[in-house]
Amino acid sequence: MLDSLRDTRSWMTGFFWALFGPLLIGGMILMLGNMFKENAKEPLHLPVSGAEHAPNLIQFLEQQDVIIEPAPSDPQAAVIAGDINVALIIPENYGEGFSAGETANVQLIFDSTRQSASVDIDRAEDTIRSYSSYIGVLRLSLRGVSPEVIRVIQIEEVDTATPQSQALIFLSMLPYFIIFAIFNGASPVITDATAGERERGSLEPLLINPLPRGWFVIGKLISAMPFAIMTLIITLGGFAAIFQILPIEELLGIRIGFDISTLLAIFLVCLPIVFIACALQTLIASYVKTTKEAGAYLPFVGLIPALPGMALAFLPVKPALWMMLIPTFGQQILINQFLRAEPISRMNIFISALVTIIVSSIITFIAVKLYEGERIITGK
Amino acid sequence: MIQVQGLSKSFGKVRAVQEVSFSAPDGEITGLLGPNGAGKSTTLRMLYTLLKPDGGVAKVDGFDVTESPIEVQKQIGVLADARGLYPRLTSRENIRYYGRLHGLEGEALEKQINSLLTLLDMQLIADRKTEGFSTGERLKVAIARALVHDPKNVLLDEPTNGLDVMSTRAMRQFVLRLREEGKCVLFTSHIMQEVAALCNQIVIISQGKVSANGTPEELRKQTGKETLEDAFVVAIGSEEGLG
Repeated sequence: MLDSLRDTRSWMTGFFWALFGPLLIGGMILMLGNMFKENAKEPLHLPVSGAEHAPNLIQFLEQQDVIIEPAPSDPQAAVIAGDINVALIIPENYGEGFSAGETANVQLIFDSTRQSASVDIDRAEDTIRSYSSYIGVLRLSLRGVSPEVIRVIQIEEVDTATPQSQALIFLSMLPYFIIFAIFNGASPVITDATAGERERGSLEPLLINPLPRGWFVIGKLISAMPFAIMTLIITLGGFAAIFQILPIEELLGIRIGFDISTLLAIFLVCLPIVFIACALQTLIASYVKTTKEAGAYLPFVGLIPALPGMALAFLPVKPALWMMLIPTFGQQILINQFLRAEPISRMNIFISALVTIIVSSIITFIAVKLYEGERIITGK
Repeated sequence: MIQVQGLSKSFGKVRAVQEVSFSAPDGEITGLLGPNGAGKSTTLRMLYTLLKPDGGVAKVDGFDVTESPIEVQKQIGVLADARGLYPRLTSRENIRYYGRLHGLEGEALEKQINSLLTLLDMQLIADRKTEGFSTGERLKVAIARALVHDPKNVLLDEPTNGLDVMSTRAMRQFVLRLREEGKCVLFTSHIMQEVAALCNQIVIISQGKVSANGTPEELRKQTGKETLEDAFVVAIGSEEGLG
């Protein structure tokens, strides 16, 4: 009945957000993947100053797949400037101490706050340590002492974290982007149809038309939905494309369940979110006085439901029934489960959709009440 | 036919409209005349159902504005104080949208739109997007969409506000034409000459109250003044806000 044929304008921004998510995630996966690769295969490039003072150490390092490079004249400055990640300085008196069987000093220069350098730093340190203990063991053996003497405790490391599980953290952020995109896709249209109409002065004449007020609200809601759905499709398409283009398995060593049926399932699970996103934003945009004000509030509205998803990325939880009772949170968990190809309870899907739809209906009802009042006209 | 009896409305402590009564019969032009802020627009807003009166009764063709607002809305065509259009739609689309909200469709609607476009001399702007229209052009679209369902009662809030001389003349011709068609025309204005030139009946409102009511002739007699302008000054009790 109420076909608001309002045409194109600012929803391009919404679509930008839709694509932003997949691109960001794609970028992160690419970086992460490269880090693992470097970690495993790439030889370490180590600038060394004073290499001539410790030919044995240098030889050992080279055997360990370290490529020795001449250090710049001021290694400290080079590290600070970020030109090199780490530098080794072997002082002149290294040989004296070493030959005397005393502790010989070398200097490793690095910046521990630089995340990207941490792999190089750790490897340089580890390699030098293993040389140190290798020589130490040799020296002890020469003196007839068992190396076991200085090895009081042997720690056996069992780290269950794999590079893959780190990658999954980023995967958990995916639902966040999907939901944020839905909210953002709808908001320009809604702002325009409520606060915008009042600002342009077209709301008052519109409401004089002989229809119950509820129809106007529902009409505005419905006209925003295609945009939200469009953004959802674009976002999902974007993620699908990114996962197609990037060799995920090669980079992260995991499979992400992102085939057509998963996409479709996620799309269906997200439909109730489209409803609640439109309803909530209609309510808020009707309450505020100007489009400017609406523009100030709405981005946060999209952020709030998405926040649990962010938390989810860092604190993985087991899906429980009560979580399904929270609109948008339930869906985020479900999306996650779809992505990990975990078994999903039909009951959970049903309940989360039902609760979301009920909550959305209540919000819509409140918005209708708001439209029936005089405030919508006077804006006070 | 519009009947108003003891209509009152307050916004907080401001008593915008107090005990306003008048009636606007079919086939006549009734003007609500008064300085800015006198309560003319508020009165009109209650008549077109967007504000609820605190007290009193207002009826349009016998339908009460509070009890059956939707029936009232069907009987009236309104040029509201706010006359925003959809800038991304053409004139024709703007009018058609309102026609559909009134339940009109198809051939009948298109015919009605075309006759309004001709009547208001808007053929040239009919299929242009309304973004960037002049005040006069926007007003024409707003009037056309208000009349798309051919209402018996026409409410115009300051219809000549911001128009140039030629457009004002055209507007007056149009209002007179509505009277010839037997419609009940109620319009507000703060411009005395305009009201004098058009109206069969003048209701002078100041500070939310009706201070005088009658034909131009009667008003002159009531106040004992020669000209309508002097009568107006006497009626509102000051020279404030004279257009």
